Amino acid sequence: MQEQSLQSRQLYHMTIFTQCFSPCGKYIAAANNYGQIAIFSLVSALSPEANESSRLPIYCFKGCKEGAIYCLTSTDTFLISAGEGDICAWKWSDIHNKAPKIIWSLSLPKKGVFTNPEVNSMVVDKQEQATRLLAGGGDNDIHIWNMENGQLENSLQGHEDYVHSICLKNNGRECVSASEDGTVRIWDARSSSEAVHILEPHKTPMCGRPEMGKWVGCVAMDHGDDWLICGGGPKLSTWHLRSLTPTATFDTPGSCQNFVMYHEENVISGGMKPCVNHWYVNGDLKSQVPTTSSSIYNIAVNTVLDQLRVLSVVGNSCKIDVCTNFGYKAFSLKFVPS
Amino acid sequence: MASITKDGDKDRKKKRIIKTESSSPDVKKSRVEPSKDGAALFYAEETEVDTRDPQKDLDLFEGASSVIKNAVTDIQAMRVSGKMNNAVLDEKRIQATLQFVTLKKMNRLSHFRCRKVREATNEAKQRIDQYHLQLQNLLYEAMHLQKEINKCLEFKSKDEEIELVPVEQFYKEAPEDISKPKITENDDHQLTLSRLDWELEQRQRLSKKLKEVSCSKDEILKEIDTKQEYLDSLQPKLNSILEATKPVQSYLNMPYDETREQHQTALHLPHPLYVLYMQSSAYKDACDKYLKVTIEGDIHSAKTLDMSVQEIEEDSDSDNEEQEKKTRRRKTTEDRRSDKKQRVLRKHPLTVAMEISCKEGSKLLLTFSYLLQLEIITVQVKVIPSCLDAVHNSISGGDLLLPDSILNELYPGDHGNNTPNPANQYELQRMGLHEFSDYVSQVGRPYQWTQWLGGLQFLGDGNPVTVRSSFSSAYMQQTIKQLRKRLKARLALLHQLATLERNSIPVSSCLIDMFPVKVLSRLVSWKRSTYEDFCSLDYTKNITEGDMVSETDIFFTAVMERGSAKLTCQVVVGADYPTVPPLFVVSISWQVQRNATNDVHIKELEEEVNVHYTELIKPKTRDNLLSNQLQRLLMCFDVYLETESHDLSGPVEIPKDKVFTRVARGPDRKKPYKYIPDLGIFTHR
Repeated sequence: MQEQSLQSRQLYHMTIFTQCFSPCGKYIAAANNYGQIAIFSLVSALSPEANESSRLPIYCFKGCKEGAIYCLTSTDTFLISAGEGDICAWKWSDIHNKAPKIIWSLSLPKKGVFTNPEVNSMVVDKQEQATRLLAGGGDNDIHIWNMENGQLENSLQGHEDYVHSICLKNNGRECVSASEDGTVRIWDARSSSEAVHILEPHKTPMCGRPEMGKWVGCVAMDHGDDWLICGGGPKLSTWHLRSLTPTATFDTPGSCQNFVMYHEENVISGGMKPCVNHWYVNGDLKSQVPTTSSSIYNIAVNTVLDQLRVLSVVGNSCKIDVCTNFGYKAFSLKFVPS
Repeated sequence: MASITKDGDKDRKKKRIIKTESSSPDVKKSRVEPSKDGAALFYAEETEVDTRDPQKDLDLFEGASSVIKNAVTDIQAMRVSGKMNNAVLDEKRIQATLQFVTLKKMNRLSHFRCRKVREATNEAKQRIDQYHLQLQNLLYEAMHLQKEINKCLEFKSKDEEIELVPVEQFYKEAPEDISKPKITENDDHQLTLSRLDWELEQRQRLSKKLKEVSCSKDEILKEIDTKQEYLDSLQPKLNSILEATKPVQSYLNMPYDETREQHQTALHLPHPLYVLYMQSSAYKDACDKYLKVTIEGDIHSAKTLDMSVQEIEEDSDSDNEEQEKKTRRRKTTEDRRSDKKQRVLRKHPLTVAMEISCKEGSKLLLTFSYLLQLEIITVQVKVIPSCLDAVHNSISGGDLLLPDSILNELYPGDHGNNTPNPANQYELQRMGLHEFSDYVSQVGRPYQWTQWLGGLQFLGDGNPVTVRSSFSSAYMQQTIKQLRKRLKARLALLHQLATLERNSIPVSSCLIDMFPVKVLSRLVSWKRSTYEDFCSLDYTKNITEGDMVSETDIFFTAVMERGSAKLTCQVVVGADYPTVPPLFVVSISWQVQRNATNDVHIKELEEEVNVHYTELIKPKTRDNLLSNQLQRLLMCFDVYLETESHDLSGPVEIPKDKVFTRVARGPDRKKPYKYIPDLGIFTHR
């Protein structure tokens, strides 16, 4: 009885922070605050005979010994997870065989006794010369590793508080980071000098919302590398990078956005309201799709396979909302650890 | 002359005597001869006899007689003839008469001869007789001796009857001086003697032994007798001791007599109650001294019930009805039906009473009854807390010790509202009775565990009820432990509620350092709430949909304040507290209304209290979980308020008082709700 109640409470308090599509596009991997990674089969979930059980994970394993997993990213062979512990890499083939083991792992350089910084965001930069992994997190820095030899190539320092999100710019030469200290910094990925540009949305009257705080939780670059969109405590806003000024804001009253992405010609964002916001680039709200979770941490679109083109949303519940038509939620996958 | 004659008479007498001894009866004649000479003369004829030839005498005699005869005949002839010649006649007569002398002599001689012959004959005869006698004597003696010899020969001496030891063994065993082999080997007689000697010695020895042994046996018998007497005298003594121990028993709480009586009574219990009684007594004796089991009720009606049960089982319903019609006044159909209804719910007159006490004195009294028709066991509960103050003090917890609900959900899902026996449904329907839950107040609650304790296991639909004592024993320990835990938990809960109503949180002493010393928020109110109120709140929908609360839970509302911020918390305490920890649903009103649906941090706060409670459970403090969780909630409220102020430009209502390593962490910007006691700082999980 106690077991059962504890399990149901844990399920109720589950937060799925991140998700990732497999290289083949048929599976979704999702990771939660208990450090568990679940693999769902999109094919079976979308098939006409799908029922309750096809919306449960086909496989579930512990990706982090203790603590949450905050970000997942994938290469052609590896699924890389990071959060409270080390950055770990798992082979997709092992995962499909239900026998995953850590192939390699990286850890953030230690700085002091009390710190065990978490990794909040990771990006893989695939170049011809080398594949690099960029990660930013609790130690206020962004670290860059060479994935082939595991060497720490560079650390970008400058943020005064922990890094929420990073993304790449200019074909991997530059990287953009959003942090709790209220700044968005643009860095030259190959040098270790200070940030090239620093944006402070909270200081602008257009975007700043003092009652929400100054922290910037999400940042994204558009395809042309001209526009940057970021949000958090301050309103979600697009910035013109040449002038480094905000141009449009996306109004989400009372809600800080945790995640934002450019998709085709539109902006998709999610935050502290139980809905996914679809915007036009000029700031007008296109649609709001209600979701199960009351706060959203990640939205992903499956671009690998066209027939499995879905939009999936994760947040602070055990359900992953899947939309086939981006206008409404089709069904939810349930992250129930077996 | 006279004297001579006398002498002569004497002589004569002598002679006569002598004569008569050896002679004929002719006594008169002898008198005439008186003298000595006459004596010689007297005897001369006797001697003459010896010399005279008898034949001659015979011839003389015949001659004389013939003369006489001739004379006579001649005379006769003469007389006849008539010729009487007197001379011849006289001659003849003188001759004849002379012949008489010869005759007389002859007669005398013959007498003498006869006498002599007789004497000789007698002598011979005597001699012969003597010899004959001797012969006879000798013969007799010979015969006697022969007899004796025969006897002797036949004499089997007793020694032949004795079974002697066989010879070889005899030689082996007997000592030298008895067996004397050299002599005895040759001499049978000696051998036998030796053997007899040896036998005698052995027998003497054995008889000595026998005497000794029988002596000792007698002694022992005497001893046995005395001991037997002693034992016999013990019985009344023991009885009196038993009587005397009764008060001691009650003083020491070891009521052996009572238990024996109880066991006697137990024989009349219905089978499931019997199983329950025996198993719980066994458990009590083996493991649990705070448990008391007794049988109560009317044993006489139980006995009559036992006897009548056999009759009732054979009669059908209609027979019973007819009987009732005959013996009593005719009942109305309603009466009969209500009788039947009563019978359906009828209990067995004997009940098993179980008293579970806790160390600090509170008691839980359970009375188990068996419903005969429905074949289930029900229980009626009574709680006796050790201190009644706590019970009456707590307003919000007023119903926690109610007999109806205190044992709710002892095992998951077991509310005791419905009868566990599926067959009962049909019975009740048939009798036109309502659902069993309506009668629970009357007959007691049929919890699942009460059936298990009685060994009753209701399988599937319609299968016969099985009574297994192994079933009972399997659940006994667990159930008693659960019952005791439940009682303690409820009492502890009541204590906590009483304290909480006074707006102070009774934190367990061993956990005080898990919380910071300075917590600025305070509890301002604690009230009882209801399931409907809980469900009516809009932010509890997820919880009710997730089946995390149920109607039988106990709901409270707590309000905490700090400054202008108010935290309203719905506390859901399960019936099985503290096995299932209480659930907290929080809503904070501070400038705006926030709760778990619109504020991630409140959900985190709930998680901190609802999920990470295991740190608050130390061995003895489990029952105090509610208060410990509330303290944690209070502490986290502080943290929430202190870390929530984003706008540092304006005045900050609630300053940062506590030490945080980092204010936010992770994509969800978690608050540092975790307190590290050693360092006194807050950090993230």
